Amino acid sequence: MILEARNINKSYGSLEVLKNVTIECHKGKIYGLIGANGAGKTTLFRILLGLIKQDTGTIEIDSEGIKPIGGIVEKPALYGYLSAYGNLKVFAQIQRLKLTKELFYQSMNQVGLSPERSDAVKNYSLGMKQRLGLAIALLNNPDCIVLDEPFSGLDPMGISALHELIKKLSRENQITIIISSHIVHELADLCDNLYVLNDGEIIKSGSANSLLKENVTTYKIVGKNLEISEVLKSTEVVYLKNAVFVSLKNSNISEVLQKMIEEGVEVTSCIPQTDFKALFGRERV
Amino acid sequence: MKRFYFLLVLLASLNSINSQEIDSDLIIIKQRMDSIKSYEAQIKLDVDISFINMPSKYGKVKYRQGESTKVTSQDFIMLPKRGLDLTLNELFQHPFITVDRGEDTHKGVNCKVINLIPTSSKSDFSIATIFMDTKAKRIVKSEISTKMEGVFTTSLDYNNIVDVLPTAIEVEFAVNSIKIPLRFLGKETEVDRKAIKEEGSKSGKIFLTLSEVQIAR
Amino acid sequence: MISLIRSEIYKISKQSKTLYALAAILIIEGFVIMSAYYQGAGIIDLLLDNLKDSFEFRGNLLNGNLIIYLILNSLWFHVPLILMIIISGFLTSEYKDKTIETVMLQPVNKLDFILSKYIVSIVFTLLIVLILAVSTFFISYWIFGYGDLVVYLDGLNFFKSDDAFYRLINAFLSGSITMIFFSVVSLTLAVILKDATKTWIVAAIFLICSNLLLKMDFNNDIVNELFFSKLTDSWQYFFYYEIPYSTIYFKNLLLLGYSIVVMIIGILIFKRRDIQ
Repeated sequence: MILEARNINKSYGSLEVLKNVTIECHKGKIYGLIGANGAGKTTLFRILLGLIKQDTGTIEIDSEGIKPIGGIVEKPALYGYLSAYGNLKVFAQIQRLKLTKELFYQSMNQVGLSPERSDAVKNYSLGMKQRLGLAIALLNNPDCIVLDEPFSGLDPMGISALHELIKKLSRENQITIIISSHIVHELADLCDNLYVLNDGEIIKSGSANSLLKENVTTYKIVGKNLEISEVLKSTEVVYLKNAVFVSLKNSNISEVLQKMIEEGVEVTSCIPQTDFKALFGRERV
Repeated sequence: MKRFYFLLVLLASLNSINSQEIDSDLIIIKQRMDSIKSYEAQIKLDVDISFINMPSKYGKVKYRQGESTKVTSQDFIMLPKRGLDLTLNELFQHPFITVDRGEDTHKGVNCKVINLIPTSSKSDFSIATIFMDTKAKRIVKSEISTKMEGVFTTSLDYNNIVDVLPTAIEVEFAVNSIKIPLRFLGKETEVDRKAIKEEGSKSGKIFLTLSEVQIAR
Repeated sequence: MISLIRSEIYKISKQSKTLYALAAILIIEGFVIMSAYYQGAGIIDLLLDNLKDSFEFRGNLLNGNLIIYLILNSLWFHVPLILMIIISGFLTSEYKDKTIETVMLQPVNKLDFILSKYIVSIVFTLLIVLILAVSTFFISYWIFGYGDLVVYLDGLNFFKSDDAFYRLINAFLSGSITMIFFSVVSLTLAVILKDATKTWIVAAIFLICSNLLLKMDFNNDIVNELFFSKLTDSWQYFFYYEIPYSTIYFKNLLLLGYSIVVMIIGILIFKRRDIQ
């Protein structure tokens, strides 16, 4: 285990932000922390990163490196008046790391940024700032990276590119990555494990696949002549143009799809829809 | 030429006062002074005024007959308006009468004391008291009451009996306290200003020390 | 620590507001020189007015030394104000841009970080005073030349040119301790308030109050001697005819003591506080 936070509690006055939160992370895995806005995700990350102190509880990071943990909280905070090189230089210098040309190129290439760009970072897009923030977080090779809402404000291209980058870091560098988001599908195919935080408490945890599967009650089926299907009519269904939302309680989606095909419906895709209310709620579906 | 004028003035004043004559000792001293065509000396100035702090200043004093005494220095210097006129030219510039005031001692020296009273309105002093060392034929003290600039008391010290020019001159005068613009008061000087107000007019002294005196007769 | 200090210096050197601060200080200096020149003759007239009856003056008192002295008198409000704005900005801008979080996400000790901020602030202050002193001396002597200095302090004090130079240099050195005090205070205010505008307002109020308190007589010798606001004008003591060195040492050491206390307060608050 690379990181273990046990029984973390944090209050601001009478407001309990985190209640007995425990998370465990293993080397090279990607963990997702999901929860509605205000669930306490950022506070937990700030505690993990040492920016704020927990009232009670312990955090153990099994690392012998200079920088056991790095990360980005909310938006990447950079010196806007400095170039990417300037920013990397400052953040490298403060941790007594000499930013050689090789290291600069390596850092920039690692996050997919052009090392040739020499203008001030204030001109960068949010996606580029995220990448540069990540490059800074990766200085001194931390064993663990914490990314708070990294997809927030990114366009689909940016989200996809960041996905790839995170996967690459986890796979190639064996870095443990903890990501928070309030948008579940952003984490669904990225994370190995998920923690669900609700009102300051971890209410669910487990492998991402099983946890999401448990909370899927609706599917979006796209296809042609969907209206001819009798099997659909026997379910709770909402018709759209060339698509339907099907809620299943007792039937299996595979059986429904098979019967639809037998009825001559041309199914082009079937997308499971996570029930966020169920996922973020305390009751199991 | 100036000397000629002086004699004319002297004669005119003698005529105008009829019986009143210029003191003979004063004439002797004046003639002795007039024998100095020019002189040059190094001068050291020290100021003793309660509200002025000034280091000793050094300069050069130059006198040429018929011209006023000139003092030059690399530093900023304050010169008394009276006291540098060692040849008494300024005093004798306009007609006057002398009145014998008897004898007195000054610094242990028996002196003849006379009053100089100008008879011309052009004169810038109203009365002068002169202490003359008649043996050494020189003035040892003068008190000049100017019309505009107050009273100047000059005390002259000589190195030896034959010297015509003094080596130390002390000029005493009344000086008003200064008014200072508040803006210029870097540090608050509330107390000092009160003190100055109370004290009002003060006496000040300037000490002039001559050295390396070179006289041309 | 040294790497932190170096990175702080690098950041300051790259910020345009540093140049603006320098420009502002030099512009103020220019205005002060101009006003000193135009006021200088009048001031000398006023100072020597009553002496004109008894004395003739030889030599020029409206010289570089007087101009430098007048600049010295004028700068101790403007310069600390600009310094306080700039130096508090060293920290408040990190809070505003949240770069302080990014810094603290690196393996950096909080104590080292804030201590390096204080050290750099002090170095920056000294550098500004040095630039100010060099430019003031250079411009004043270049334009107005050398000469005796006249100052009214417990009477009219006249100083020879070389003596005036010595006193003016020491006044700048002593004044730099006052500047350090105000700089340290502004950084501590930044630690406490975090927000730039609030810090500027409080720093300006602090400076104005200090100046008012400096001139206030507390009717208590201990307060008059030891209260911080009474220690910020030690540089003026160099213009007493007899320089009271022991008073200057005492006041400056005490002001340094105050600066250290204010710095320790700032460090403790920063260390205890969460970064958010």
